Amino acid sequence: MIDRRSLLAAAGAALMATSLVGTAQAADMPKPFDKPEDVKIALVRYLSTGDFFQAYLAGVERQAKALGVDLRVFDSRQDAALQADMVDQAIALGVDGIVIQHGLTESMKAAAQRALDAGIKVVAFDVNVENDKIPQVEQSDRDLARLALEQAIKDNGDSFKAGYVYVPGIAPLDRRDETWVKVKKANPGIEEVAVFGTLDNPIANSVANQAGAALRANPQITVMFAPYDEFAKGVKIAVDELGMTDQVDIYSADVSTADISAMREPGSAWVATAATNPAVVGEVSVRALAMLLAGENPGASVIVPPTLITQKDLNDQDIKNMEELGQKLPQFSHADVATPAWMPLPKR
Amino acid sequence: MGGAGMSGPVAPPPAGEDRGRVGGSSSRGDTATRLAIRYGFLVLLAGLVVFFMAAAEGFTSVFSAVFIFQSVAITAILALGVTATLVVGGFDLSIGAVATSSMMASAYAMVVWNLGAVEAVLVCLLLGLVVGLINGMLVVYTRIPDLLATLGMMFVLIGLQRIPTEGRSIAAGMTLPDGSTAEGTFSAAFMAIGRHRFDLVEKNVLPVSVLFMLAMGFLIWFFLEYTRYGRVMYAIGSNERAAALAGAPVRRYKIAAYMISGVFASVGGILLAARLGRGDIASGNNLLLDSVAAALIGFAVLGAAKPNAFGTAIGALFVGVLLQGLTMLNVPYYTQDFVKGAVLVLALIFTFTLSHRQDR
Amino acid sequence: MAEAAAEQPAFTISGLQKSFGANWVLRGIDLAIPARAVTVLMGANGAGKSTLVKIAAGLHGPDAGEMRLAGQPYRPGSPAEAIEAGIVVVHQAINDGVAPDLDVASNLMLDRLAGGQEPILFNPRRIRRKAKAIADLMGLEMDLSAPVRRLSLADRQMVAIARAMARDPKLLILDEPTSSLSDTEARRLFALVDRLRAQGVAVLYISHRMSDIRRIADRIITLRDGRITGMFRDRPLDYEGAVNAMLGHGLTDVDIQSPPPGDPVLQVADLQLVPGARPFSLTLRRNEVTALTGLVGTGKTAFAEVLFGLRRPHAGSLLLDGRPYAPATPGAAIEAGVFLSAKDRASNAVVPQYDLMRNLTLPFLPRFSSAGVVRRGRERNVAQDQIAALNIVCQSERDGILTLSGGNQQKVMVARWLSQPSRLLILDEPFQGVDIGARRDLGAKLRETASDHATLVLCAELDEALEVADRILVMAEHSLAGDHPNREVDLDLILSQVAGGAPLAVPGWAVPA
Repeated sequence: MIDRRSLLAAAGAALMATSLVGTAQAADMPKPFDKPEDVKIALVRYLSTGDFFQAYLAGVERQAKALGVDLRVFDSRQDAALQADMVDQAIALGVDGIVIQHGLTESMKAAAQRALDAGIKVVAFDVNVENDKIPQVEQSDRDLARLALEQAIKDNGDSFKAGYVYVPGIAPLDRRDETWVKVKKANPGIEEVAVFGTLDNPIANSVANQAGAALRANPQITVMFAPYDEFAKGVKIAVDELGMTDQVDIYSADVSTADISAMREPGSAWVATAATNPAVVGEVSVRALAMLLAGENPGASVIVPPTLITQKDLNDQDIKNMEELGQKLPQFSHADVATPAWMPLPKR
Repeated sequence: MGGAGMSGPVAPPPAGEDRGRVGGSSSRGDTATRLAIRYGFLVLLAGLVVFFMAAAEGFTSVFSAVFIFQSVAITAILALGVTATLVVGGFDLSIGAVATSSMMASAYAMVVWNLGAVEAVLVCLLLGLVVGLINGMLVVYTRIPDLLATLGMMFVLIGLQRIPTEGRSIAAGMTLPDGSTAEGTFSAAFMAIGRHRFDLVEKNVLPVSVLFMLAMGFLIWFFLEYTRYGRVMYAIGSNERAAALAGAPVRRYKIAAYMISGVFASVGGILLAARLGRGDIASGNNLLLDSVAAALIGFAVLGAAKPNAFGTAIGALFVGVLLQGLTMLNVPYYTQDFVKGAVLVLALIFTFTLSHRQDR
Repeated sequence: MAEAAAEQPAFTISGLQKSFGANWVLRGIDLAIPARAVTVLMGANGAGKSTLVKIAAGLHGPDAGEMRLAGQPYRPGSPAEAIEAGIVVVHQAINDGVAPDLDVASNLMLDRLAGGQEPILFNPRRIRRKAKAIADLMGLEMDLSAPVRRLSLADRQMVAIARAMARDPKLLILDEPTSSLSDTEARRLFALVDRLRAQGVAVLYISHRMSDIRRIADRIITLRDGRITGMFRDRPLDYEGAVNAMLGHGLTDVDIQSPPPGDPVLQVADLQLVPGARPFSLTLRRNEVTALTGLVGTGKTAFAEVLFGLRRPHAGSLLLDGRPYAPATPGAAIEAGVFLSAKDRASNAVVPQYDLMRNLTLPFLPRFSSAGVVRRGRERNVAQDQIAALNIVCQSERDGILTLSGGNQQKVMVARWLSQPSRLLILDEPFQGVDIGARRDLGAKLRETASDHATLVLCAELDEALEVADRILVMAEHSLAGDHPNREVDLDLILSQVAGGAPLAVPGWAVPA
C-alpha cells in the first residue's frame, strides 16, 4: 500500500489521488476514524500572519478534511498567555486532539500537560513543550541549511568569500546557524567577511539597506548565505542595485510564489533555496495527531524533510508559483511521513 | 464717605507696572553654546562621515553616497509627511501602516486587477489622501486626540491590507483565496520606479527613489517655509487660538496636514512596492519609528527647535549614514538600534534645552 | 462701627504682602472677616483676589504680614493644614472640587478617604451612612449612589460645599461660585449660603457680579492693585461706591478733542446676545473711538465675538456699511473689514515661535503673497513701517516676539490690525498688562488712525475708557446699559449703570478726587 501511494504521489496524478481518498474512507479505518464526524481536533496557533503560516493552515485544513474530522482553529496572534488560555478553551470544548503551532516553552509546557491530563492527544509543531508524550513535528532547519550550503559548495568550490545574514535569538535561524558554523569549520576555504541582519519590517527593505553597505565594504564577496527568504529577497535587491548580479550568488532557505518569481528574473543572483512546504508540514502535523488518536506512535520527533529548489529547476520546468512547484517537483508537495496504511491523504 | 472705612496700606512696595523682559536676546556671553546648538548636529554629521570614510572601506564613493540616499529615501519621505502634521501640532502614527497598505494596494491593483503602472500609482495616492482625510476629520471633528485617532487608523490599516488576500503577500502568479491564479504582473514601468537609475557624473547612478525624495523634500520645504499656507500651519502649531483669531480656517489646515502626511506615506509605499517587487504584508512599524525619529532629530538641526523639512531630511540622512557605516563595520543590528536611540535622545536634549533657553 | 466692636472677627489679616518676582501682587492687606456674616470681596482681574485666597488656603506663603484665625496665629504650610485649621475654599472651577466618575457618597467622603481617616478596606455601606449624615446636615436631596457626572453644575457645587462644611470650618471661602451657574442654580446656592450664615459661619464671597452681591452681601471689601480700597458695611450698602472703589479713583481729566463723527459703519438692531437678555441697538461711526465698558462677564466679549464671526447672536441683525452682515468665521469678518484684536494676547494672539514680523503679518498673508508664495520684502516693509509708526522698541523686525516687553508685544498685536485698512476695528482689553507709556502710545495711535474706520475698544477699567474714547458705552447683563459722549461725563451715572442698578444719583456720594 505504502509503496503504491508514494508512487502515485510521485507521479502527481490528481485523479488517482482523489480515488484514493475515496477508497481510504470506505476502507477499514481504525477507531475513532470509523466515525470521523465525531472527532474534534483543535489547532492552537501562536504565529499566524505571513505566507508560511497561511500555507501551514491550508495544509492542516486539507488533511483534516481528508480525514473528515471537525477542526477548530484558535489564533492567539503572538500572545503567549492567550495561547495558553486557548488550550484550556479547547479542553473545555471537549476536543480529542490538539496541534500546538509555535509558542513559548514557558507558557505552553503547563498548558500542554493540562491537555494530556484531560485525556487529549497533543502534537507540537516548532515549539518544545518538554514532554515525552508529545511528538514534535519539525521541519529540519539543519537539513535546510545543509542542502543550500552543499549546493553553494557544488557551484562555487569549497573556497570563497561569503556574506552571511543572521539575527541571533530566533530558534530556526539559530538551528540554521549551527549548520553554517559546522560547514565553515569543515571547509576552511570559506571565509565569512560580513555578517549582518535585521528583523525590522518590511524585512526585505531593511536587509537590502544593510546588504548594500556590506557589499560595498566587501566587494570581493561571491556567495551570500541568507537562510531565510526575506533575507535573501533583501540581499537580491541590494545586489541588483549595486549591479553585482554576475558576481554574487545567493543561497537561501524557504520559498514562496514571490520568491520563485524573484529567482527566475533574468540574471537573478538568487540561485538556490532549500525549503519545506509549509502546507506539507501542516498535513504532517494532523497526520501525526491522527496516529496518536488511533493509538499508534508517530515517534517522538516527526521530521519533515526539505527539498532543494534551484533556479535551473524552476527555469527548466517553467515553474511560476507554489502550486506549480508542488505539481512539478513532487518531492515538494508530499512528505512520506506519518503515513500508515489507513491514512487518507488530501487530494492534489 | 457714606460710612466707608478705608484701610491704609502699610509701606506699599513700589508699583511694578510692567513685568516685561526687554532685550533678552542681546546677551552674547554664551556665543559658543549658541553656535554649538545651531551647528552641532551638522558638525556631528560631518564628523561621522569623515570617521566612516577613514574606518570603513568602500564608504568613500559617489555610489556609496547615492546608496545612503537610497537607503533612507522611503523613511525620509514618510518623515517629511509626518513633519507636516507635527507643524500643526498634530501627530500621525498611521504613516507606517499607510505605506505598507499602499504597497499592498499597488501590488493588488497590478497583480489581481491587472492594472497598469499609472492606475496603480493613482490607487495608492487616492488611498493616502482618503486615509489622511479620515485621520484629519477624526482629529478635528470627533476631537479624538491625534495620537489615539491615528493609532486606531494604524490598526485598521494593518488589518485591512490583509483582508483581500487573506493574509498572504502579493506576488505575480500567486494563488488567490478563491483558488485561481492571479493573472497580472508588476508592470515594467512600475518596477522602474524602484530600479531605474539616471545618469549623474557616471552612468546609471541616481535611482528614481532618491530623485523622489529630493523632489518631495524640496516641495514640502518650500511649502512650509515660503508659502503663506506653510506660515499659517506653523502659526497653528504654535498657538492655534491665535491663528484662528487671525482668521485662519484652522480645521481645514489641520485636515490638509494629515492629507499631506497620508499622500507622502503612500508615495513611500509605492517606492517600497517598486523596490521589493511584491506586496509584502508588514505593519510598517519600523518605518513609522524610523521616520518619527528622523523628524524629531530634525528639530535639532540648525537649532530650529521645531519641526522643519530641512531638519527632517538631515535627520533621515543622519540615521542613514550611521546605519550604513555601522553595517560596513559589521556592527550587529541591536547595537545599531542602540546608537539610533542615543542619537535621538541627544537631538531631543539639543531641542528642548534650546527651547527652554529661548522661552526663559 | 459699634456693631463691629460687638463681634469677634473670625479671621483677620494684617500687613499681608506678596510678590512674584518683581511683580507686587499684594501690597499690604489689612482685613477682618466677622463670623455670622457674608463678606464680599470685589476686585477687577489682576487686583490680587486669587492670590489672597491662595495664601489663606495655604497654597502660597506670604512675604510679610500675619493672619489670625479665631484669635490664634494662622500660618498654613499646605492646603491640608488650612483645612485642618478650619479654612475651606470652594474654587471657581466646579469640577476641580469633585471626582465626576465617583458617586455622590464617595465624593462627600473624598477628603476622608484621601486623608487616611477611613480604614483601608472600603466599606460602601458605612461610607453611604456617613455620607447620608453629611447630606442631611446640608439639606442635600439627591441620590447618593448617582455618579457626580450626572449631576447639574449646581449640584456638583453643593456636593463640594457640603463636603467642606462637614469639617465644621470657621471660614468658608467661595471663589466666584456662580460664574458657571444658571439663575435658578444660583438661587439654590444663595439659600445654602443664608443657611450657613445662620449657623454662624464666616463666609468670604468673592465675586464681581453685582446681582449676586446685592443678594448676599452683608459687607463689601474692594481690592485694587493689591490694596484694600474700600470697606462698606452700613446699610443700605453703597454699591456704586464699591464699584468705584474697585475700578479706581484715578479718573483724571483727560483732554479728549472729539472730531465730528463720520458715516455709520456698523448698525446693530435689536441684538440679543443670549436668551433672556434685553435686546439693544446701536450705531458705530467712522472717525469715532467708542469704548465699551462694564464688569467682567457682562457680555462685552460676547458682543465682540458676534461681530467677529466667533459666535451667533440669539436674535437681532447687523448692518455693515448698510449691507446685512453675519460673518460665519473670523476669516469672513476679516474679509469684510471687521478686525478684532483679542484680549489676553498670550493665549489668543501671540504666536510664540514667530518673530515680530511674522506675528504682525499673520492675518493678511494673502495680501503679502503671490501665488501662495510669501513676498518677504513686502512683508518686511510693512513690519518696519509699523515698528516706526507705533514706536515699538526692538532691535529689528526679526526679533523673537517673546524677547519684547509686554507693552511692545501688545503694540505688535495692535499693529497687526492697523497695518491694513479696516471698516470696524475692535480691540478687546488692549491695555491689559501694558505699562503707562505703551498705553499712551497705543491710545494716541488708535485716535490718530480712527478717521477711515469705526473703532470699538472693550475695557473693564473705566479710566482707560475715559482716556481713549470719544464715546462710552456701558454694558450690563448682556445688554447696553448706557451710552455717553466723553464730554463732561456723569461718572455717577456710568458707575451706577456698571453696577447694574437703575440709573439714579446717589446723594452724598461723590467721585473722590
